[in-house]
Amino acid sequence: MWWLAKRIGLSLLLMWVVATIVFLALHMVPGDPAEMLLSTGGAMPDAYAIQELRERLGLNRPILEQYGAFLMGLTRGDLGTSLVDDYPVAEEIALRLPRTLELILAGTMLAVAIALPAGTFAAVRQGGAFDRAASALAAVLQAVPVFVLGTLLILVLAQWLRWMPAGGYTPFAEDPVRHLVLLSLPAIAVAKGLAATIFRMTRASVLDALSRDHVRTARAKGLTPQRVLRRHVVRNALIPVTTVLGLQMGTLLGGTVLVEYVFNWPGLSTPLLRAVEARDYPMVVGIVITVSGLFLLINLAMDLIYAALDPRITRS
Amino acid sequence: MRRLWFPAAIVGLIVLIAALAPLLPLMDPVRQDVANRLVAYVPGSPMGRDEFGRDVMSRLIWGARSSLAVAFASAAIAAVIGTALGLLGGWFRGLAEVLAIRGADVVLCFPPVLLALLVVTLLGPGTGTLILVLSVLYLPGFIRVSFAEVLSARGQDYVEAVRALGARTPRILLRTVLPNIAGPVLVQVSLAVASAVVLESGLSFLGLGVVPPTPSWGLMIRGARATMEQAPMLLLWPCLALTITILAMNLLCDAVRDVADKRGGGGAPRLRLVDRLLPGLFPAPAAPQPLLDVQGLTVEIAVPGGIIRPVEDLGFRLDAGRTLAIVGESGSGKSMAATAIMGLLPPAARVAAGVARLDGEDLLRMPEAARRKLRGGAMAMVFQDPMSSLNPVHRIGDQVAEAIRAHRDVPPAKASAEAVTLLKRVGIADPERRARAYPHELSGGMRQRVMIAMAIANKPRLLIADEPTTALDVTVQAAILDLLAELRREEGMGLVLITHSLGVVAEVAEDVVVMYAAQVVERGPVAQVFGRPLHPYTRALLAAVPDGDVEPEGIPGVVPRPDRWPPGCRFAPRCAFATVACETPPPLEEVQGQAVRCVRWRELSA
Repeated sequence: MWWLAKRIGLSLLLMWVVATIVFLALHMVPGDPAEMLLSTGGAMPDAYAIQELRERLGLNRPILEQYGAFLMGLTRGDLGTSLVDDYPVAEEIALRLPRTLELILAGTMLAVAIALPAGTFAAVRQGGAFDRAASALAAVLQAVPVFVLGTLLILVLAQWLRWMPAGGYTPFAEDPVRHLVLLSLPAIAVAKGLAATIFRMTRASVLDALSRDHVRTARAKGLTPQRVLRRHVVRNALIPVTTVLGLQMGTLLGGTVLVEYVFNWPGLSTPLLRAVEARDYPMVVGIVITVSGLFLLINLAMDLIYAALDPRITRS
Repeated sequence: MRRLWFPAAIVGLIVLIAALAPLLPLMDPVRQDVANRLVAYVPGSPMGRDEFGRDVMSRLIWGARSSLAVAFASAAIAAVIGTALGLLGGWFRGLAEVLAIRGADVVLCFPPVLLALLVVTLLGPGTGTLILVLSVLYLPGFIRVSFAEVLSARGQDYVEAVRALGARTPRILLRTVLPNIAGPVLVQVSLAVASAVVLESGLSFLGLGVVPPTPSWGLMIRGARATMEQAPMLLLWPCLALTITILAMNLLCDAVRDVADKRGGGGAPRLRLVDRLLPGLFPAPAAPQPLLDVQGLTVEIAVPGGIIRPVEDLGFRLDAGRTLAIVGESGSGKSMAATAIMGLLPPAARVAAGVARLDGEDLLRMPEAARRKLRGGAMAMVFQDPMSSLNPVHRIGDQVAEAIRAHRDVPPAKASAEAVTLLKRVGIADPERRARAYPHELSGGMRQRVMIAMAIANKPRLLIADEPTTALDVTVQAAILDLLAELRREEGMGLVLITHSLGVVAEVAEDVVVMYAAQVVERGPVAQVFGRPLHPYTRALLAAVPDGDVEPEGIPGVVPRPDRWPPGCRFAPRCAFATVACETPPPLEEVQGQAVRCVRWRELSA
């Protein structure tokens, strides 16, 4: 339990670090941040607009006061309002975050469901036809950028074959079937990189586990090969796979931004990209903090899974 | 090395073309020509024109230039700054370490694309912003790698030596440490470049990276999306270029890593499982039938240089209720023989010849399914290292119960209860509580008791113990040996004890097989063999045992490697009595219940 408390404490600490960095980023910009945000293509913004933006962002208050207000706002879930339309950032995120989460969850489940068994099978039949084909496919998938795969999926499945809609979103309550159809292509795109990594890692990890002494012990007990594989090889091989999965989550979240853009999936990336283009700083900060928080949360979950898989972590 | 050259050539070619772009006879990549919008081919434009009538081929090549420039620039900046920070942190420790490592951790709190977008919001899109963001993103990798390498380099003798000579810190870091961490840093550079190409294209695709009209693969894909129906090739060319570049870079990264690691060998060659040879025509076993009858057991391993034989023509008999010891130095083939009998040989090894009959049934020619039913049932094995031989992620009670349920149809609760009884039987105090423990929570001796409990779970007729006490303390060793002797007496099983300790043999075994370089050199009842050793090797082993205040005489040299065996007697090079006669392989001769493989045994024992 002490271990768990420490781990959660660490996550909270990291969250504070993230918030502080994001806060400081605006002040680390050389020159006047308000002027910076308003300038586009070298044109000098007018003095009145700069003054107004300084007021809006509270830049004319002492920096510690700004920092305090920022952290207080965060603890209340108040992320400020958009510079573009005054809409509360937190409300915009609350509307869109579930859709992004759904996409991540679907993509991760898909990747794990395909790559874990495939990686195990490839390792058990090392050097066989399946192993070679799957390893080559994984290498190619790892090389295709996520937005390239998404765009090609649209080109082939939507434009040429007309099997699938090119993108969009329908709420589940309105039309569950269409919702899932629209979810499928983005989920595949999100899953691809993760699947390639999990496959490679599982394969390597199972190969390693197969040669361990305790596997020989299990065989010496006379267990069936299936049971040896399930309980003494795969179970142990999952431990390093989990670690890598946690490390991959940052890439996965970044890839989700691109996938949502490609497939018009109305998650967090639409307001994020709009805000980056419009230099809408409060909105960008809100979304970056939310997604980074999500990232830390997923990593915490990964550590818990890791601890559940490996009794040496918590009990020693 | 072949794996390195192919991707290196492709990456080199791409870099070369991109670098030479201004010299190539290409059209202006930004000149628009609205009359030729989206045409598939016009003279001078083999790949056609884009949505503004710009030449696609020219834009592809110039696009490579901007992608690679960003990638190499950011990787180079990150490499220089990151390595410097890591070096300083690792060398000075203290505050420098905290700043470098914690600084790296902070960057890792953010998903990379999000951090990039945050910076783009502040600074506006553009090549400069991209290089800044990407170099920040790759800093942690360099810091960590160089930090770890410096820490290990600091302790190395050559660094200590230069320090002792009074060299100044900057000089040591630059001249001595840096060249030695070049390998890992190079791996990190290749990873950073490959990853930077992906991120740059992604951000450009979102319209937040390279600013139009500068050509970039990400921007080209972005632009071609709108017209993908009329001009799919416009989309496919940059997709293909990007994918091939990244694929080649990834392959190069893997290859560079393998070379830099030097550990990543290609793995053992995969061997075809050749069907067992025809059953040998050995004479029927004489009555009474022994529990275990091994004859002519030969194990082969195919290695790059040919075939080696770690076990050759091994033979012995073991009756129920008796103990047979196999002794010999490391590398003599004792353990390999035991795993062959159990059917647990590593994949690279195979039984080339011989029989091993358990109660008259040949274990070596039996189908794997039948042998599996015997393993852990009628025959069981205890391994050398109880730490690695237990699965670290399962409770020990479960691991023992699993052995029970593999052979008997017992409900789980009953198997668990029986596991506790077994743990008690092997002398584990508080067995109910210990059954719920994980292996790492037990001492070495405890773990070996668990291994034994597991092995005797189904009352085996034959127990093979492979150096069961080498990993343990001396006092624990005696306790484990007592336990094995007691179990053998009470359960009436036959025990094969593999060991290199003659003291152990004298104490617990009735018969002994002495192995040297895969062969039996001497075999017989312990009292007879130890009382009157016929083979010089056995004598040497006995002489090496410390006895009272007599200095033990070590045997000069080591067991030769299996691919370097002498053509004649394998012990001859280390033998004090070797003569010309020893250059032909000696046969194993039977003498009054004892067997010896030495041409000179008659003269020497006289």
